[in-house]
Amino acid sequence: MSPIIDVVAPRLLAPAVMLAAALIVKGYTDVGEGFSAGVIVALAIALRYVALGRTRADRTFALARRAHLVAAGGLLVALAFGFAGVAFGRPPFTHLPLPGESVMRIGRLEITTAVGFDVGLFLLVSGGLTVLVRHLTGLMPADETEPEGDG
Amino acid sequence: MRPGPSAHSVDRLGPLPTVATAIAAAAFVAIVASLVAGGGSISLPWAPTLGLRIEFALDGLALLYGLLATGIGLLVFAYGAAYLPRHLAHEGRPRAEERRFWPWMTLFLVAMVGLAMARDLILMFVFFDLTAVASYFLIGFDRHRPEARGAAFMALLVTGVSAVALLLGTVLLQAEYGTFSLPELFTRARPGPVTTTAAALIAVAALAKSAQVPLHFWLPRAMAAPTPVSAYLHSAAMVAAGVLVIGRVHPLLALNPVVLDALLLVGFVSIAVGGVLALAQDELKQILAHSTISQYGYVVVLYGIGGPEGAVAAALYVIAHAIAKSALFMTAGAVSEATGESRLSRLGGLGRELPVLAVASGIVAASLAALPLTLGFFKDELFFAAASGKGPLVASLAVVAAALTFAYLARFWLGVFSGPRHAEASRVPWLLVAPIAVLAILSIAGGILVAPFERLAESAAAVTHGSAIDVAPGYHLDLRIENVMAVAAWGLGAVLLVGARWREPAVSAISRAGDRIGPRRVYSVLLSALNRMSDAAHRAEVRDLRTSLAAILVPTGILVALGFAATPTEGAYVAGPITSADLPIVALLAVAILAALTAARDRGRLRPVLALSVLGFSLAGVYAVMGAPDVALVAVVIETVVSLVFVAVYSRLPGTTVGRPARAAAASHRFRNAAAGIIAGVSAFAVIWAALSRPSLGGSDAAEQIRRTPDAHGGDVVTVILADFRGLDTMVEITVLAVAIMGVASLLRRFDRA
Repeated sequence: MSPIIDVVAPRLLAPAVMLAAALIVKGYTDVGEGFSAGVIVALAIALRYVALGRTRADRTFALARRAHLVAAGGLLVALAFGFAGVAFGRPPFTHLPLPGESVMRIGRLEITTAVGFDVGLFLLVSGGLTVLVRHLTGLMPADETEPEGDG
Repeated sequence: MRPGPSAHSVDRLGPLPTVATAIAAAAFVAIVASLVAGGGSISLPWAPTLGLRIEFALDGLALLYGLLATGIGLLVFAYGAAYLPRHLAHEGRPRAEERRFWPWMTLFLVAMVGLAMARDLILMFVFFDLTAVASYFLIGFDRHRPEARGAAFMALLVTGVSAVALLLGTVLLQAEYGTFSLPELFTRARPGPVTTTAAALIAVAALAKSAQVPLHFWLPRAMAAPTPVSAYLHSAAMVAAGVLVIGRVHPLLALNPVVLDALLLVGFVSIAVGGVLALAQDELKQILAHSTISQYGYVVVLYGIGGPEGAVAAALYVIAHAIAKSALFMTAGAVSEATGESRLSRLGGLGRELPVLAVASGIVAASLAALPLTLGFFKDELFFAAASGKGPLVASLAVVAAALTFAYLARFWLGVFSGPRHAEASRVPWLLVAPIAVLAILSIAGGILVAPFERLAESAAAVTHGSAIDVAPGYHLDLRIENVMAVAAWGLGAVLLVGARWREPAVSAISRAGDRIGPRRVYSVLLSALNRMSDAAHRAEVRDLRTSLAAILVPTGILVALGFAATPTEGAYVAGPITSADLPIVALLAVAILAALTAARDRGRLRPVLALSVLGFSLAGVYAVMGAPDVALVAVVIETVVSLVFVAVYSRLPGTTVGRPARAAAASHRFRNAAAGIIAGVSAFAVIWAALSRPSLGGSDAAEQIRRTPDAHGGDVVTVILADFRGLDTMVEITVLAVAIMGVASLLRRFDRA
């Protein structure tokens, strides 16, 4: 593995998450949505696993080992935002605020339930792909990048 | 004699049968209570946009079948509570397997009551199919025996596939008259080809369910089920569901006399086939199964005769038959339980050892054979009255039918309980006899005081016929036509019974001929042909990656080509001008074409993958330039993932030199590959060209969605469509995605070293 990748791979996750966050929150008014954001984060995690090998990547990024829970949680979040309205007698996927009502803002950020649904989608995609990446790197021959005596 | 299981373990009643029996009892009481309260109905919206309602009503017909399903259900459940532990012990299975039995029995009871009360055709279809599903698991209860599995599958296929005819008929009626509701259909329906087709389709589904010729062959096979299943499903419930549907939709069937005549024909053929084959059988349950085919033939004949007489006779026939037949099935089970034998030729003379059973089953057999002083006498009285009104041909066929019934029932009862003894009988637990005795008492009570049963039948017939009916069955000591026909039937039946020497070769010859050329043979030939076809298609598809891809792309291409052939092409294929603003697109597409050629022509491994990647990225660039940034973004991330996965997978493959000879061998398929590629490519080209030739959004969904996007507080139409306008679609898609990830992950985990 080239030293560049060795250095870059572990540090790429934070910018990737930043980019994903931007894609989601801007998504409703500009290009991008939860799916692309999820794939981008999963790509950063995949690079990390390929560069460091399964064992080291697992050790430095504990959340990846719970990725299946992230994915399941994402599905639940999406379901909750999609169907919460049913409890109040509205059709499914009635997003708040309703047409004509004003949108709550934090700075320039617009908060709507549709964004919440998108966050669920993001968690599902990034979590699910991470599960697959972990298992796939587990199939690779024992990592040669594992430095001896490092654990 | 088979080794009996220890009395201690099998005589203790488990919680499941107790609960199931309690449910049956509660349902029975509820129906009786609502009868006292004067009926009732429920009507709730279900899917208002489709015009579907949950519409139940406890009218006469619902009352009749509801009482049968719950009353006989109650008795059979009680019988089953004693029978099933013994059955499991004989089969060497643990007692816990009861939990595979009682829930299905209870579901069946609920479905049957629901079917009886449903007033909406779609609702009827749902319950109709629910009974088929429950019966699949009940017939296949002894799932370690291949014949039980085959029988369950056959019953499901025959009744389930023909249930589709019920759905088709329902949809036809809805398209013509705009409603699924039966009461509304009865007022709106007019004679016509659509109504006739729909009525015939519904009748086909009902006839298959009632095991009528030529779709009768599943019922004898279904005798692989444990006895309580046969006693319930194959006497009073599953097969009764078919004639229930006929009775329910009869006003639609009656719009065209040809449909009624077809019912008459099918009914008489079923009586004959069932009756003759019942005489040929040796196994007790097989005799009864063929008898059921024959007996429901009577009911179908009566519905075919139609009119008030036919309707009321059919209803009374269903009552009398259900009571008698379930008792006879339970008798067969009790006899097998006592002796370990189930064949007529190995049984006999059990009357002395099992006197209660002999008397009780003798009474119900007499009722089914329509002897006086039983409820069954009146069913035949009405049957003969209705048949004699239809002319001498139908009348004489009716006499022959009754004679066959008399003959095989006498053969059954005399063969088991009289004559020389062939098998020892052990003691039978009281719970295996008491339900039969109750049914026998009912049969006798009906023979003395027919009024309650008559009123039940009259109110059911009033639903079938559409107006109130009054008949007066009773004993008349004179030479009226019904009495003459009854006496003639008994006489002819006795001749059939006594003349065993010439009867047996004849019926066994007919039985053999039926096995060789009958519909069951057609079924098995069709089924194995279908299986071979499916296997061949499967083998062709999964042979290698190319055939898998071709299996998707070639049919798609052909279907698209057919679609285009049927579509007007005016203005569809426009070659617009190329301006300087289009130059980036042209350049990107040129790169894409070169990459595609490289991917197709290059014989290396990594180069085609990289070429595909270049192709994908340049197409993403095209989307971006054409003003679809969302699509471009998704295309870029997906392209990245796919390229990485390709590289990762290739790093696991053995060296390329190994692959060379395989490629050379595949050269013989070059023509086929080229043909598949051209079909797929040309159709994709045509679709994209046609789509791009009509970029206008006027009046489309898309224009509406763009207009409404600000209302949804969004700026990006694609995102708003995904999260809001079509949010439910997205939800379903991501659920599928989650399930797919789960599946892949569970496969990968098996090979994962950690």
